[in-house]
Amino acid sequence: MFGYIRLELLRTIRDGGFIIFGIASPVVMYLVLSNLALAPGDRHTGAIVTMVSMAAYGALGGAFNNGSGIAEDRAAGWLRQLRLTPLAPAQVVTGKVITGVLGVVPSIAAVLLTGVLVNHVTLSPWQWLSIVGLLWAGTIPFSLLGLGNGYALTGQTAGMANIAAFLGLSIVGGLWVPTAGFPGWLRAIAEWTPSNSYAALSWDVASGTAPGARAVVILCGWLVVFGLWALYAYRRAGRTA
Amino acid sequence: MEIDAVSLTAVTKSFGAVRAVDGLTLAIPRGQTVALLGPNGAGKSTTIGMLLGLIPPDSGKTAIFGIDPGQAVRQGLAGAMPQEGGLIPRVTIRELLTFIAGTYRAPLPLEQVLALALMTGLEDRRVDKLSGGQAQRVRFAMALVGDPDLIVLDEPTAALDVEARREFWNGMRTLTGRGKTVLFSTHYLDEADEQADRVVVIDRGHVVADGTSAEIKKIVALTTVSVTAVGEVAWLGDLPGVSRLEVRGDRVHLRSADPDATVMALAQAGAVRNLEVTPADLEDAFVALTAKETV
Ligand SMILES: Nc1ncnc2c1ncn2[C@@H]1O[C@H](COP(=O)(O)OP(=O)(O)OP(=O)(O)O)[C@@H](O)[C@H]1O
Ligand SMILES: [Mg+2]
Repeated sequence: MFGYIRLELLRTIRDGGFIIFGIASPVVMYLVLSNLALAPGDRHTGAIVTMVSMAAYGALGGAFNNGSGIAEDRAAGWLRQLRLTPLAPAQVVTGKVITGVLGVVPSIAAVLLTGVLVNHVTLSPWQWLSIVGLLWAGTIPFSLLGLGNGYALTGQTAGMANIAAFLGLSIVGGLWVPTAGFPGWLRAIAEWTPSNSYAALSWDVASGTAPGARAVVILCGWLVVFGLWALYAYRRAGRTA
Repeated sequence: MEIDAVSLTAVTKSFGAVRAVDGLTLAIPRGQTVALLGPNGAGKSTTIGMLLGLIPPDSGKTAIFGIDPGQAVRQGLAGAMPQEGGLIPRVTIRELLTFIAGTYRAPLPLEQVLALALMTGLEDRRVDKLSGGQAQRVRFAMALVGDPDLIVLDEPTAALDVEARREFWNGMRTLTGRGKTVLFSTHYLDEADEQADRVVVIDRGHVVADGTSAEIKKIVALTTVSVTAVGEVAWLGDLPGVSRLEVRGDRVHLRSADPDATVMALAQAGAVRNLEVTPADLEDAFVALTAKETV
């Protein structure tokens, strides 16, 4: 399974979609947004808030991109080929989930590093640690949603569904523009999205408070929903693979 | 009694209204090279899919070396090349094969696999930048790299040119020489004839013939005895061995199961004029076998 993860990571870093959505786009957007001072508050606070938003945005891009890969693998007959090796199906799924989890690391790292090096963001060590940890672990529900779509839908449809989910959740969740500027009805929706809860955990830490219980509960709720979706889609795909 | 490498017992598989495989039984002893020969849609790929545990049969039993196919694959006892697909973009041949090899307990060394699949020197090429024939060889290499005892190949030479096909079979003989069991499907009749110890002809999900290629030719009795004859020729149809009579111009073509007896009878009747005896080739046998039930 280690070999499988290695191979999948190699493929990920050579994937143009991953480089664009997972790394280049969040870093560039971060530089633009933070330097236009579109975020509320003073410039330094704005740079921190936007840094978290864009790191979350990039991590989501990586997580969904990984899910789309499954649909491509299925269309290419790669999943069937794997079934003809001694690897057990459970090892393949686990490997793919781990690839997704590891694959978001460069996205998070790229944006946080840009924050430190370009925008001179300063936070305490425990804040950095918590933010990295929360941004990282918090991608699991999105990885599962992406994988579920990858198993449930065919090649291109899965890719489009995942890009739509990725952009939709990023925008409605307030990763691009803070929800403070949303009309009331949209803000009400935003507060229930997994992407908003996900980023809120790290926004809280960055502003020096403990993550809110509400965000934790909502994100865990979505974790269950997306986990069930991925499980259902995987079982269904297994019957036709 | 030694356990068969492949054992299919009365397996059946339907896709909706289509009976892809219909009560097929096949046992392959260790070390045999068997060709699965049949026209498009005969059920070859479905049979292979069930044998490998990829497609669950509706009924019947499947086993590889006496155990459940999925389990056999997990133990590295079988390697296979499906009819299509299995290649992924953004990796090199070396990376791909090294990964596959790593999933087996005792794989072949990479250089040996590359040599068998005629890919030496190509190993650092990206898999998505290969020609159709090269891609086919990579897929073949994936089936071999684990050094399995049973190798199953679904139309292994479909994308290869004549030269590559010959080299491919030279490589295969190296393997069969080491006691591997090989099951391959093909439309190329000469290929089944030349490469297999045994030919299993399937059509509409049934085994319609099973034997050496010589035996199959005999079963369908396709030796043709032709003579020039004029006038009343119907009596020629009653000669020993003759199963069918066909008149084309002044030539009479007799299909015979026992050409020796037929020629003898013709001679006794003094009817030998411009005698021609054409032995069946497997292609005719195949067409005859698979067309039989259509009428
Ligand atoms: N997944 C499927 N869904 C529906 N029908 C199928 C499916 N797979 C095979 N069939 C049908 O089952 C029959 C046997 O198909 P199969 O692929 O086994 O034939 P084959 O002998 O391999 O043919 P070919 O030489 O063209 O590869 C065909 O009529 C085919 O249309
Ligand atoms: Mg086929």
